[in-house]
Amino acid sequence: MTLHQLNNHLNSVPETAPTSPALRVDGLKAYYQTRWFGITREVRAVDDITLRIEHDEIYGIAGESSSGKSSLIKTIAGAIRPPLNVVSGSVNFDFGTRKVDLYSLKPEERTAIRWKHLAYIMQGSMSVLNPLRRVRQSFVDFAFRHMGLPMPAFLRAVEEHLLKLHLQPGVLDSYPHELSGGMRQRVVIALATVCRPGFIIADEPTTALDVVVQKSVLTMIREVQREMRASILFVTHDMAVHANLTDRLGIMYAGRLVEEGRTRDLFRNPRHPYTIHLIRSLPRIGDAEPRKGLEGTPPNLADPPPGCRFHPRCPIAMDVCRVVVPPMQSLGGGHRVACHAVTGGTVQ
Amino acid sequence: MKTYAIYLAKRLLQFVLVVFIGINLTYVISHATPIDPVEQTISALTSFGNTSPEAIETMRESLRELYGMSGTPVEQYLSFWSRIVVGDFGPSLSAFPTPVSELILRALPWTIGLLVVATVLAWLLGNLLGGLAGYYRKNRLLKAMGLIAMGLHPMPYYVVAFVLLVVFGFMWPVLPISGGSGIGVDRGFSFDFVYSVFLHSLLPALSLVLVGLGGWFLGMRALVSNIVTEDYVVYAELGGVDRRRILGSYVMRNALVPQVTGLAMSLGAIFTGAIITEEVFGYPGIGSLLVDAVHAGDYSLVLGITSVSIVAVSLAVLVIDLLYPLLDPRVQVE
Repeated sequence: MTLHQLNNHLNSVPETAPTSPALRVDGLKAYYQTRWFGITREVRAVDDITLRIEHDEIYGIAGESSSGKSSLIKTIAGAIRPPLNVVSGSVNFDFGTRKVDLYSLKPEERTAIRWKHLAYIMQGSMSVLNPLRRVRQSFVDFAFRHMGLPMPAFLRAVEEHLLKLHLQPGVLDSYPHELSGGMRQRVVIALATVCRPGFIIADEPTTALDVVVQKSVLTMIREVQREMRASILFVTHDMAVHANLTDRLGIMYAGRLVEEGRTRDLFRNPRHPYTIHLIRSLPRIGDAEPRKGLEGTPPNLADPPPGCRFHPRCPIAMDVCRVVVPPMQSLGGGHRVACHAVTGGTVQ
Repeated sequence: MKTYAIYLAKRLLQFVLVVFIGINLTYVISHATPIDPVEQTISALTSFGNTSPEAIETMRESLRELYGMSGTPVEQYLSFWSRIVVGDFGPSLSAFPTPVSELILRALPWTIGLLVVATVLAWLLGNLLGGLAGYYRKNRLLKAMGLIAMGLHPMPYYVVAFVLLVVFGFMWPVLPISGGSGIGVDRGFSFDFVYSVFLHSLLPALSLVLVGLGGWFLGMRALVSNIVTEDYVVYAELGGVDRRRILGSYVMRNALVPQVTGLAMSLGAIFTGAIITEEVFGYPGIGSLLVDAVHAGDYSLVLGITSVSIVAVSLAVLVIDLLYPLLDPRVQVE
């Protein structure tokens, strides 16, 4: 970047805009730690993750099952309970009006920012609503204390919010079991966004839905994001969903981030061998023969392989990969990758 | 509303059917016993002094009439039902000629008073403490209570009852150990009488609550510790929903659904009386009446008590079935 370009860039940023990213995760490690009869076991589900999410951005995390995506997102949401513990690192949010370091907050302070600033759409949204409470009561339980409105005005605000999301206010009078799966998912998204939070974390919100319903739920999420200019951290193993929805994408493998970049760039020009396989394995209409999958299974995170965790399955693994953990290195344009084959790591 | 009416009609029919079959079974069983009540009464009446054979024959005839044992088996069966629908179980054998219904009505208030209070109290305490123990797993006091409940629950009831008797009746004699009220107290509605009834019911009630509580406590604790891992509880905790609201409306409310069924069943079972309790504490309720009736071979009394109990249990189940859609909206009324 020349000095001229840099000047232009700085000038184009309005003065009022927040300068720190919406989410800053630094060197985050979270392990499942169990002790049975004196034998300690550690499963390194989240291992040294560093990432930034900008304001007004949809960031996706992809990876196969047991790659640690859900553990990462739970840690970022502050939704962990033992045996999953944060070992080191920090999670910093900037909600515009206030900045918080999630893991230095007292539990009641953490509770206070939830829903108001930080919303979380949990995995398995089918069962996150109390089966014995009407949807209206769930809205009251979760959101009433944040809105600072008297009850009738609060309920009107909820109805307006539902209408904006193309939901009939009549769903408020239903019990969760009376709603279809897609409907329930949309109600949960409405519940998560009713306080207009600045940051939304969504863990596999479309996984249990068929593709038609999936599309409408994704459209809804995108509309919510555009309308509220919120940042979204979106996790799914479904690459098609990422291609449709996210601005930037991080690929996780065995508890580590292996590649990150603009979604478009990653799909067009994946660099990490794992990402390459992930994207090449997507079937396209007109394929002459079935796509080949990747041999092997993800490693056991209680005893991960040394060096690059992907090397046992990597077709181009070198000696260095078996010894040295590849660092995340920038390729320019926000594209980062952790692979010796790409960045030229050597055995010292 | 219409579907509910159909459901109601179906359930009522089912109730009538269950009661009908149950009472038939007790009829068959009691008539299959080798004890002939007529001959027993005659031998009891004629054991002192001489009675002419003609007089005995007349006596036999009238007793057969009285016990509904005249005529063919079909006629006997029909006359049994025609009497039972109006609540007439015939005269008691052991307390001849008092009608069975009068004996039952006399014993019923004692049993109901004692058992309803004890059952409801054990249920409330057990579920409340068990629920708290399941939710606040680390609380020392609740943990200790769990240990006590686990120790009390498997203990045979009669052991607990006798320990209470020995402790509060002999070692530290502060409470009456037998009877329903003081012997010299007038049975009117006076403070003395009520106080005496209360004192007499303390030990039997305490024994029932102690033993009953453990079961409810352990059941509720297990239910709650399952429910706290349900998605909707985890989500509500993440959403910062008020802790008391989570405990009440999310955890307890969901755990109580099966417990309410249990309560209804034990309330229905009250009408058999608490046999051991009433025997141990000499309580004048249905339980001691039933034991006495069995000892005396008083089968019309046994039949009466069993019939009342069948109706009560089925009624409790019926009421709970009708209320269930209100407790749990997922229960579909078809």
